[in-house]
Amino acid sequence: MSKKKSSLILAAAAALLLLIFLLSLLVGRYPLTLGGLLAAEPDSMERRVFLNLRLPRTIIAALGGFGLGIAGYVYQTVFRNPLAAPDIIGVSSGASVGAAMGILFLSASPLAVTVSAFCGALSAVLLALGLAFAASGLARTYQRSDTASLVLAGIAVHALAQTLLMLLKITADPEKELAAIEYWIMGSLSGANLRQLPVFLGVCISCSAAIFLIHRHILMLAVDEEEARLLGVPVNRMRLAVLLLATLIVASTVSVTGLVSFIGLLAPHIARLLLQRHWLATLALSGLLGAILLCMADILARSAASGELPVSIFTSLLGVPFLLYLMLKKEKN
Amino acid sequence: MNSSLEPDPFFSVRQLSFSFDSRQILDQISFNLPRGSLAGLLGNNGIGKTTLLRTLCGLLPHAGSCTLAGKALEKMSERQLAQNISYIPQRNEISISLSALDVVLMGFHSRLGLFQAPSAGQRRRALEALETVGLANCADQEYHTLSEGQRQLCLLARTLVEDTGLLILDEPDSALDFANRHLILRTLQKLTAGQDRAGLLCLHDPWLALEYCDPLLLLRDARTIVTLHPLMDTCQEMQEHFREIYGPLSLRRCEDGCGRSHLVLLPESED
Repeated sequence: MSKKKSSLILAAAAALLLLIFLLSLLVGRYPLTLGGLLAAEPDSMERRVFLNLRLPRTIIAALGGFGLGIAGYVYQTVFRNPLAAPDIIGVSSGASVGAAMGILFLSASPLAVTVSAFCGALSAVLLALGLAFAASGLARTYQRSDTASLVLAGIAVHALAQTLLMLLKITADPEKELAAIEYWIMGSLSGANLRQLPVFLGVCISCSAAIFLIHRHILMLAVDEEEARLLGVPVNRMRLAVLLLATLIVASTVSVTGLVSFIGLLAPHIARLLLQRHWLATLALSGLLGAILLCMADILARSAASGELPVSIFTSLLGVPFLLYLMLKKEKN
Repeated sequence: MNSSLEPDPFFSVRQLSFSFDSRQILDQISFNLPRGSLAGLLGNNGIGKTTLLRTLCGLLPHAGSCTLAGKALEKMSERQLAQNISYIPQRNEISISLSALDVVLMGFHSRLGLFQAPSAGQRRRALEALETVGLANCADQEYHTLSEGQRQLCLLARTLVEDTGLLILDEPDSALDFANRHLILRTLQKLTAGQDRAGLLCLHDPWLALEYCDPLLLLRDARTIVTLHPLMDTCQEMQEHFREIYGPLSLRRCEDGCGRSHLVLLPESED
């Protein structure tokens, strides 16, 4: 595929995202119009809804989706496995345990749950990385495969987190706490607000920028490990740094949105089918598609029924048919 | 004939040992490679040739020392190693879609800064390297869609741009047809002869090694490596050593249509 065609696809995706971003600002239980917003008094209901709820929510959906998209692509590259997703090293399950603990033991305010989910996600990943490091140190290494150690450690942490989550659910009050935990796990941006924005923006933007800046090094991790080392890549340190960057993005996003990690698997696959060869362009397109998917899913989640629906329903409903269409088209060609 | 220990060898391996699962795979192996040489590593399947190459590259923990132009490889960082050694493994896998040119550009990685991209000059050199190995028309083609042999040529192009002092290649010819097999070995010969570098390649075909390499390193078992010099040693001497590895055979000198002399190994029946 020519660079011109790649640029065209990227430009089209960016334009579509802009359109959906604007639509997302206006659609909801309290409908807004551009004219109304411009004419409204500074202290009016329209302005307050726009600035305190709609704008932060849309920014979180767009940037969170972008982050999940690029993090998914990075995981797939680093693990050299197209099925790798954020949960491969326990991010999502760690976040779920963190959120459940926040709901049960902290104030259950959105901010407390967010912070608790973030800490849970990071703890799970650090535990998985620690286990993998210990395992690869113990089995010192005729046929090196530190990625396999990481995947196994991730599976172990995921299983452990699921057990913890079950225990927490058993102790939860079925009427309130259990419902809140289940709702969080299904993912929703209904709790997104202005107070969450600074930390989320800071983490998400800085980590995404770092990933783009060191993209050439991430690309080198797609090469066989020994070969990469002899091309001058400090494989273990680079992999650790890149995984931490991607994990911070995912943790900061799911701690605000609940589990919507399917985007991390879906967006990179669609991007790869559309672009095929240019890694950097595919990385950017994964992000744009992730943002489009999450924004559209969020619009539908808040407008398809009289109440808020879980956002994950719509990320799958929107993404899977498109992915299947592209796969079939590729088969045909 | 046995490891000629020159006073100041370009690449020197001393007492190299590696064990795995309480099995001694390499036991105090020593040899030297002079500047400008292209050495062929020969030996039976499973004897430890690939392990030896991986150990030399610092990929496996080992005892003993390897020095290149007086510098100990064991003390080098990944980056320094990459600036001194080019390595083509037996098998190569890249898990994402990349063009052949992108794969060759990876050869510059160790010379680029953290945020630096390959320059226009480096891209030009990468294209020239692809041209040298006969892949000029494949620069934009996806690496995965190249044939196995073309991939090996592409990796050789990457080795060309790496411009290092030591080339280590593990069966670089295994998927190549007759013409490309000779192309790759001629290219390696040109790359090393009279240059400030040495090459060590593992080959399965002793005839190719006899044709293009000097010295030949025959790995007989975990602790015995014999160094042969096809240009200096007698046929009889070399034949004896080849027989110890490959069984009954004859080593003969013959001439091609242009009057050039070649060494040829002929298998002999035991009955």
